[in-house]
Amino acid sequence: MHRSIAWLALLLAALVLAACGGGDDASDGGGAGAGSTDPAKVKGTVRAIMEEVPDTDVVKEMLPEFRKAYPGVDVKIEALPYDQMRDKIVSSFLASEPTYDLIVVDNPWMTDFAMGGFLEPLDERIAAVQGYEPEDFSKPLRDIADVDGKTYAVPFYNYALALVYRSDLYEKAGLQAPKTLDELKAAAAELTSGKRSGIAMQPQKGYKIFEEWGNYLLAAGGSIQDASGKVTLDSPEARTALQTYIDVYKASAPDNSLNWAFDEAIRSASSDRSAQLISYNWTLPTVNESGKPFAIAEVPGGRAVLGAWYWGVPKNSAAKDAAWSFAAWVTGKEREKARVIAGGAPVRDSALDDPEVWEQGLGEDYYKTVKAILQDAAPLADGPNAEEMINVVGNELNAAVAGQKSVDEAISTAAKNAQEVLDR
Amino acid sequence: MLRRFPIRYRFLAPLVVLLALVVAYPLGYSVWLSLTDRTITRPETSFVGLEQYGSLLTNGGYGTAMRNTLVFVVFAVGIELALGLALALALQRQRWARDATRAFLLTPMFVTPIAVGLMFRFLLNGQLGPIPAALGSVGLSVDFFGTALALPTIVAIDVWQWTPFMVLLLLAGLESLPRQPFEAAKVDGASAWLTFTRVTLPLLRPVIAIAILLRALDAFKVFEYVFATTRGGPGDATDTLQYLIYRTGFQFFRLGEAAAMGFVLVGLVLLLVTILYRTLLRQEARA
Amino acid sequence: MSRGRGTFVAAACAVVALPYAWVLLAAFKGPAALNDPGRLAFTPTLENWREIFSAGVIGSAGTSLLVALVTVGLSLLVGTPGAYAISRFRAGGTATRFGILLSQVLPPAVLVVPLFLVAFTLDVRDTPQVVIASHLTFVLPVVTWFLIGFFDAVPRSFEEQAMIDGYGRFAAFRLVVLPQVMPGIGAAAIFGFVLSWNDLFYALVLAGGNAKTLPVSIAGFNTFRGVELGAMCAAILVSVVPVMLACFFVQRRLVRGLSGGGLKY
Repeated sequence: MHRSIAWLALLLAALVLAACGGGDDASDGGGAGAGSTDPAKVKGTVRAIMEEVPDTDVVKEMLPEFRKAYPGVDVKIEALPYDQMRDKIVSSFLASEPTYDLIVVDNPWMTDFAMGGFLEPLDERIAAVQGYEPEDFSKPLRDIADVDGKTYAVPFYNYALALVYRSDLYEKAGLQAPKTLDELKAAAAELTSGKRSGIAMQPQKGYKIFEEWGNYLLAAGGSIQDASGKVTLDSPEARTALQTYIDVYKASAPDNSLNWAFDEAIRSASSDRSAQLISYNWTLPTVNESGKPFAIAEVPGGRAVLGAWYWGVPKNSAAKDAAWSFAAWVTGKEREKARVIAGGAPVRDSALDDPEVWEQGLGEDYYKTVKAILQDAAPLADGPNAEEMINVVGNELNAAVAGQKSVDEAISTAAKNAQEVLDR
Repeated sequence: MLRRFPIRYRFLAPLVVLLALVVAYPLGYSVWLSLTDRTITRPETSFVGLEQYGSLLTNGGYGTAMRNTLVFVVFAVGIELALGLALALALQRQRWARDATRAFLLTPMFVTPIAVGLMFRFLLNGQLGPIPAALGSVGLSVDFFGTALALPTIVAIDVWQWTPFMVLLLLAGLESLPRQPFEAAKVDGASAWLTFTRVTLPLLRPVIAIAILLRALDAFKVFEYVFATTRGGPGDATDTLQYLIYRTGFQFFRLGEAAAMGFVLVGLVLLLVTILYRTLLRQEARA
Repeated sequence: MSRGRGTFVAAACAVVALPYAWVLLAAFKGPAALNDPGRLAFTPTLENWREIFSAGVIGSAGTSLLVALVTVGLSLLVGTPGAYAISRFRAGGTATRFGILLSQVLPPAVLVVPLFLVAFTLDVRDTPQVVIASHLTFVLPVVTWFLIGFFDAVPRSFEEQAMIDGYGRFAAFRLVVLPQVMPGIGAAAIFGFVLSWNDLFYALVLAGGNAKTLPVSIAGFNTFRGVELGAMCAAILVSVVPVMLACFFVQRRLVRGLSGGGLKY
C-alpha cells in the first residue's frame, strides 16, 4: 500500500508549499511628529481603498502632483466597486493590524464606523492645516461627518439628488421644471408618449427606492427622523408621498420596471426612452453624451436627499500623518477647484461660486443649481445602523409599489421596523 | 507502520486530514461566533448562548427567506433533473459533432454567476431587453421581475446555468454503466422505454441521487442572481437565505447573528440530505 | 425518434446560444449603443477589449486557472480514495459521510470571517494559496460526494472477480474500479473546476488585490454608476471560450480513455 503513503506525502508537501508563500505587505508607516503636515517631514506609504467611480479616477490623476508636494508620501489606491469595497473594508476591521491607511466612507456608515472606534477624530488635524477653511464645505455635508461633537471625516464628493430632465421636451410641451409633487406628476403624465415614458424610476427594493422616494417624502413635508433621531415616518405626509410615488410609477414609468435601479434608469433616459428621472446631480454629463439636451433642476419641493462620500483615517493605521496629509491636500480649496473642473462632484462652496469652474466645467447654471441643492439637502439617514434602517424601510416601500401591501400598512410597518433598528 | 491500519482508513485518511486542516478552525470559530452577539461596529462582544437561534424562530424575514429558498431549490433542481436527464440520454446517442455539442452545452456553468445574473437583468429588462422586445412584437407583455414571476425568473436563470451540470453528471453516469444488462435487454427484445425504466434508471439511481444532492446543496446558496436582479424584491418575493445572511453579516455588521442563521440552515440541509440519502440510496441497496 | 432527439438537442443549443449572441454583440458595442443593449445596428469598436486588457483581466484569468487546477488536483488526489472508502467500506460511518459536507453547506458569508482571520494571522492574505485553501472547503466535499455516487454504481462483483483472479485490494481499485469511474472522475474534475472558477466571495475577501481572480475582475465591471456592459461581456467571452475548448478535449479524451484502458469485466 505504498500508494496511499505517497499520496499523503504529496498532500503534505502541497500544504507546506501553500503555507510558505507569504504576502509581503509594504507597511512602512510612522512619519513625523503627530499632526504634522509639513510636506518635507511627512513620510510613509498610504494604502487607500476607494470606490471605482469616475471621481476616484480624477483623484488618481492628481497623484503625481501630490508626490511633488509631498515627496515622502507614497499613496497606493485600490479601487473597487461599491459592494466589494464595503466587504473589504468590513473585513479589514476584523484584523488587529491595519489593512488600509485611508478609506472612503459612505454617509450611512459614518455613525457606525465612528462609534465602533474605527475612525480617527480629525478635529485637531483639521484645525492645524493652514487655510483649510472647513466652513467652506456645505453645512449639510459637514454635519454628516460630526458624530457626538467630533469630526471623523472630511467630504470627498456629494451625490445629492436632482431632477434630470429633457429640456427640449419640457420646452416643447410648454412646461417649467416642477416645483411640487403634483406638478411632477402632471409633467410626467404629459411627457409620456408612445415608446417614451414620462419618467424613469428606481423602485428596486431596499436602498434605491428609499433614496428616490426620500425626495417625495421631503416634498410632501414629511421626514424620517426628527432632530433627536427619533423615527417620525408614521405620518400622513409619508402616506401622501408614497401614494404619489405609486401614482407616478403606474401612470408614467416604463412598464415592468419594478426592479429598476440607477443603471436602467440612466440607460432609459440616454436612449430616448424616458423624458426625465430623479438621480444624482452629476449624471448630467453622462446623459448628455446621448446627444439629447438634458438639464438639472432641484427636485420638486426644493429639498433633496443628500448622499456623500468622505475621507476617513482608520484609527489603527500606522501612517496616519501621511494619510491625513493626502486627505487634507486633496480636499483643500485649491485641489477642490482643479478636481471639480476635471469632472469631480463638488463639496466646497468656493468651487461652486468660482467663475473659472463655471467656464471650464459644466456652466454657471449647473453649479448654481448644485449649490442650491446642497444648501438645504437632508442626509439619506443619520445615526447608528443607518444602512439597515434604509433597507428595512426600502423593503416596505417596494412592497407597496408592487401592490403586496397597502400604503398605510407599508408606512406603519416601515416606521415600526425603522425604530427597532435604530434602538438595537 | 501504516500497514497496521485497516485499508479503509488508509484510503480515507488523506481526505479527512486535508479537510480538517482547512475547515476545522474556521468551523469551530463560526460555531463560537453564532453563540456571541459579535457586531463589527461594536467593540464589546458578549456570549449569548443559543439566544440568537431562538430569536430566529420569531424572525419573520428569516422564515420568508427560508420558504423562498426551499421553493427555489425544489423547482430549480426538479426542472434541471428532468431536462438534464432528457438531454443526457439524447446526447449519449448523438454521433454527429458529439464532442463539440457537449462542450458547448456545458459552457453556461463557466460564466461566473454574478455575470449571469447581470446578463439576464438586461436581457429581460422590460424596456431595453431583447426578450421582452421579441415578446412585445407578438403582443405579449411579461413582467419578469414582478411579484408573480420574479421567483420563477430566478429559477429559470438557475436552470439556464446549471442544467449543464446535470447533463455532465448524468452523461458520465450513463457512460460508466456496465454494458451487459443493456445487451441482455436487447437480446430479450425489450422496448426503448422498458429498457429505460427497467435497466437504465435503476442502474443510474446512485448517480441521480448524488446529482440531486449536489445540485440542491449548491442551489441552497443562491445569491448572485438575486443580488444582480431584484435584491430580494418585489417585497420579499425573492429574498433568499444566502442573501439575508450576507446582508446581516456584511451589510448590517452582525456577524454573530449571521453565523447563527448559517448553522440553522446547515442543520436543516443536513437533515434533508439524510432523508434523501435514506430514501434514494437505501432503495438501491435493496434492489 | 431520432429526429425528435436532434430537434431537442438543437433547441437546447439555441437556448444556450441566445444569451451568448447578446454578449458577443455587446462586447463590440460602444457606450452609446450599450444604452440600448438590445439594439442590433451599431458601429463595432474594440474599446471594450482594450479596457479588459488594461484592467488585467487576462492576468486574473491566469490566477483563476492556477487556483482552480490546484484545487481540483488536490481534491481528486484525496477525494478519489476517500470516496471509494466511503462507498465500499462505509468507512467512518454516517458521521464522516455527512460531516464532510458541513463546510460546503455553511454560507460563505459566515465561513469567510474565520478564514480571513487565519489568513491574516499567517500573513498569507492576497495569495493564490489562501484562495486555494478556501476553495477546498467546498470543492473537496463536492468532488468526494460526486465520486461516491460513481463508486456506488460499480457492481461489487467487479472487484470480487478481480480479487479472485489474484489482484490485491489496491490493484483491484486501480486497475478495475478506477477505469470504470473514469467518466465520473472527469465530470467531477470539470465540476470542481467550475465551482472554483466561479467563486466570487472568498476570492474577493481573502485576495482581491494581487491575486485577483476572474470573477472578482468581472464583478468589478458592476459599478455604482452602472454596469460596464461592454467590458463585462468581453470578459465573459474571455472566461468562456478557453474553457469551452478545454471541455471539448477533456470530453474527447474521457471517451477514448474509457473505451481504451482498463480491464473489462
